[in-house]
Amino acid sequence: MENEEKLMTGEESLEVITRMINKTRVSVTQTSFHLLFWGWLIFACSLSEFLLWRYTDWTNAWYVWFFVIPGVFVSLIYGFTKGKKEQVFTYGTRIYVWTWMAFLFSSVVFFIVHPLEEGNASKYILLLAAMPLFISGAVLRFRPLIWGGVSFWILALAAHFGGPVVSGLAMPVAMIIGYLVPGYLLRKRGSHDAVQGA
Amino acid sequence: MTPFRELDPLLHSQLRLAIISILISVDSADFSYLREKTEATAGNLSVQIGKLKDAGYISVSKSFGESYPQTMCRITDLGRQKFAEYVAALGDYLKPGSEGLKV
Repeated sequence: MENEEKLMTGEESLEVITRMINKTRVSVTQTSFHLLFWGWLIFACSLSEFLLWRYTDWTNAWYVWFFVIPGVFVSLIYGFTKGKKEQVFTYGTRIYVWTWMAFLFSSVVFFIVHPLEEGNASKYILLLAAMPLFISGAVLRFRPLIWGGVSFWILALAAHFGGPVVSGLAMPVAMIIGYLVPGYLLRKRGSHDAVQGA
Repeated sequence: MTPFRELDPLLHSQLRLAIISILISVDSADFSYLREKTEATAGNLSVQIGKLKDAGYISVSKSFGESYPQTMCRITDLGRQKFAEYVAALGDYLKPGSEGLKV
């Protein structure tokens, strides 16, 4: 940028303002890491629970969900350490981060009032997870995430009306559509693990 | 060049206006981000950030990352108000038939 004391005309001032505002975009780094990490973790847990329930006599298949607890810490530590290196926080970034934090808090409360041993909770989790996914897609203007959120709502309905087998498979299918596919699409963009919207 | 009137002299400078325009659009931004977007030299940017900070238009916080210091800048309520006033004055000036404004 030129000499800071250069006298500007009104048009030049307006041009500086417009140009600088246009340079700022919603930028959420880490997105593909979290999508792929959680996508694979929940896919493995939900599919394992389904297979154990379907093909073994073990009645405590829900134990596999205990793997989620260290997953929360991994995700939080990764997000915190990476977040400290961020060069900029846009309002969109803040919406994105706190929407997912709200999902985490809601999930914790949900598992307190609805313990896992009470039965397959996939339809409720899909309902909860659809919102941050859909909102993230809208904030980042990344359609695969929006469609991922929509698929979660549809799969929640399928889990409710489709019987125990459909209910058991709804979660792993949702992880592929809503987390893994968008996660790999983001990574394929080669944008250094970042996605940008307006 | 068209003369100006009643424009905040602190904002009516190319680099300082660029800094404020970025900070009005984001929650916070660090020094290297501002440098990249404004394409200013580090020295020049540092001086202008200091002027905006001294005037209370922005707040600056320094922290130490893994191996390097980080300077985060954020616009204050006063900075937001002054930017709004500047844009309003600019709008008056840019209206067809206006007499023009002075710094």
